Amino acid sequence: MPLTRRQLLGVGAAVAGTAALGGWTVWSGRGQSPLLLSARNDDAGQHYAVGYFLDGRRAFATPVTDRCHDICRHPFLPLALFVGRRPSRESYLVDLRDGILLQTLHSQPQRHFYGHAVFHNSGRWLYATENDTREPGRGVLGRYRLDSTRLQLIHDGEVSSHGVGPHQLAWLPDGESLVIGNGGIRTEGGSRKEMNLPAMAPSLVIMDRQGELLSKETLPQQKNSIRHLAVASDGTVITGQQYHGPAWDKVPLLAIKRPGEAYHPFPVSESQLAIMNQYTASIAIHSEKRLVAMTAPRGNRFFIWDLDSAATVVDAPMPDCAGVGAVPGGFAVTSGQGKCRYFDCTGGAVQSHWLTLPDGWWDNHLWLG
Amino acid sequence: MQRLIVLITTLMLAACSDPRQQVTTQLADQVLLPAHQQWQSRNMTLLDSTRAWCSGDQELASLKQAFHQSQSAWSRLQPLMVGPLSEGNRSWQVQFWPDKRNMVARQTEDLLDEFADLTQPQLEGASVVVQGLTAFEYVLFDEQTAVTENRDRYCPLLTGIARHQLTLSDQVLALWQQPEGMLDKLTSFPNARYANADEALGGILRVQVTGVDTLKKKLGTPMGRLNSGVPQPYQAEAWRSRHSTENLQASLAGAQAVWERVRSLVGDAGLVADIDQAYKTIRDQLEALPAPLMELVQDPTRQAQLQSLYQNLDALETLQQDDLARHLGIQIGFNANDGD
Repeated sequence: MPLTRRQLLGVGAAVAGTAALGGWTVWSGRGQSPLLLSARNDDAGQHYAVGYFLDGRRAFATPVTDRCHDICRHPFLPLALFVGRRPSRESYLVDLRDGILLQTLHSQPQRHFYGHAVFHNSGRWLYATENDTREPGRGVLGRYRLDSTRLQLIHDGEVSSHGVGPHQLAWLPDGESLVIGNGGIRTEGGSRKEMNLPAMAPSLVIMDRQGELLSKETLPQQKNSIRHLAVASDGTVITGQQYHGPAWDKVPLLAIKRPGEAYHPFPVSESQLAIMNQYTASIAIHSEKRLVAMTAPRGNRFFIWDLDSAATVVDAPMPDCAGVGAVPGGFAVTSGQGKCRYFDCTGGAVQSHWLTLPDGWWDNHLWLG
Repeated sequence: MQRLIVLITTLMLAACSDPRQQVTTQLADQVLLPAHQQWQSRNMTLLDSTRAWCSGDQELASLKQAFHQSQSAWSRLQPLMVGPLSEGNRSWQVQFWPDKRNMVARQTEDLLDEFADLTQPQLEGASVVVQGLTAFEYVLFDEQTAVTENRDRYCPLLTGIARHQLTLSDQVLALWQQPEGMLDKLTSFPNARYANADEALGGILRVQVTGVDTLKKKLGTPMGRLNSGVPQPYQAEAWRSRHSTENLQASLAGAQAVWERVRSLVGDAGLVADIDQAYKTIRDQLEALPAPLMELVQDPTRQAQLQSLYQNLDALETLQQDDLARHLGIQIGFNANDGD
């Protein structure tokens, strides 16, 4: 039986307690098709925050003012923040049961969102990568507290991201340390224009959520912007880069940091690198199957590799492939241009089939669960 | 068995009667593949001609003509290079543009200083900057090379580039024509690349629209649109051979060949007329340019003419990318063109 919004608010009031765990369990039901959350457009250019079940049924499509990027799910309440895409100053807190917009979260003055955020597993705190647009420009993690009675996010301070242009962030398995891709590019507050390409300084930072820097590593190529990442249950981090140097340079567009080891390139073949057109988008890790999946929309290519041996599992053409997410049996992949696909990894050879989701206009990231 | 045959025949008829699938198949068979074949065949002539000139059996003018033919086939192909040629950095091996820091001249001379008698493996191992038509053009047309007097120095490179271009086009053509190659992918659905003809048509249109966008860049860059309006004549494509405009015309013709096939799918007569007119206007304007582009961009009295051409290219791009795509219900790149 679905919860009413009033019941949800009641659950929210008890957010610190274990009673809250019931909210999501009741809502998601048993045996239901996984829910896919994403930003999407229509062909008139209207932006939406959408939820679809993987079997093709629409849960909701909520019109929003700004184009969003990634989706940040609350750990147990049926809530998600659809995070505004650079340089948006808005993100949208949505009730996943019916798509009602609960809050338009505005960034602080002289800050804008970078499209990614994470909820702490207590459900009380959210951390979003943001741009401090004042001179000389710096990356920050905005911290927000979830008001458990009103279900509103309230800004509650910020810490440095220890780099410029922070993009995606994720929790390490301890649930207290964050890994952040500092893209290294400073952009104008009012546009997407790069301001510092000759002086880019990308880095992979691990810090605790209070802001203390635990490690900061770089790749040899100064114009190789570290943007997206995923973390396996054992703490292995895979990052995807976007290279701002010449199109013909051969640079590592994927890199790996295993727990306790140095950050270094993930060994994919030169022909695969060449096909990516210096641009990687979304990364997902299947921890149980030890697989990493990645979309390369400029190369119209989708890949799956073995996380440990780096052997290629899938190397498939897919027009404008966008978000990728893992479910127990494999990966679902959306597309900005064509049909969404499912890659079934349960048998020996991976089987792919098309999903009955609407075609095209899916944005670069998705949340699946 | 008979029923099965009836069913298969019905399915085949249904597929054939789908106008989008028909158009996609026609585009693949009659426009895209022939453009790749023509490029390969021109590269064959270029290699023959290079060998003939290097052995003293041909005039330089004939070699220059063969070069123009290869360059023209490549220009026509750019809005049509769906699949293999657009993948894996292959297109950079054909042409190096824009060359903002005159890397072609510098790297070509450095390479020849390092390897007096350049071998094919040495060229294959070198940068894409020296492997393509832009380096070939530099050797043939730049005054500083004095190529006729320095035939011995430059011939190993010219022959190497011509051979590299032919090998590349042979490989790409094979990837088109082999079983389950690109031609099959554009004519039989679903397949591993495309779920249906709509996706394939979207892919073709996306490349074509990108081709029109590249035309804008090839015009706008020497006009100084990236440099606060200060003309950049040496940033023009093919400035050394003074063939920038001919290249633009060949690319426009390639883009138009796609439109000529897609037109039958458009029910909106107004939109058809607008796109037809846009192509005609640009074609006429290019035809009317009185001198090589690198000279025109430096002539203040020609700025309005070039500006108008640029705006018309921009309008054509919008008509196809927005209006045509919306009319056909086809998405032309979303994340790929504007990611994060």
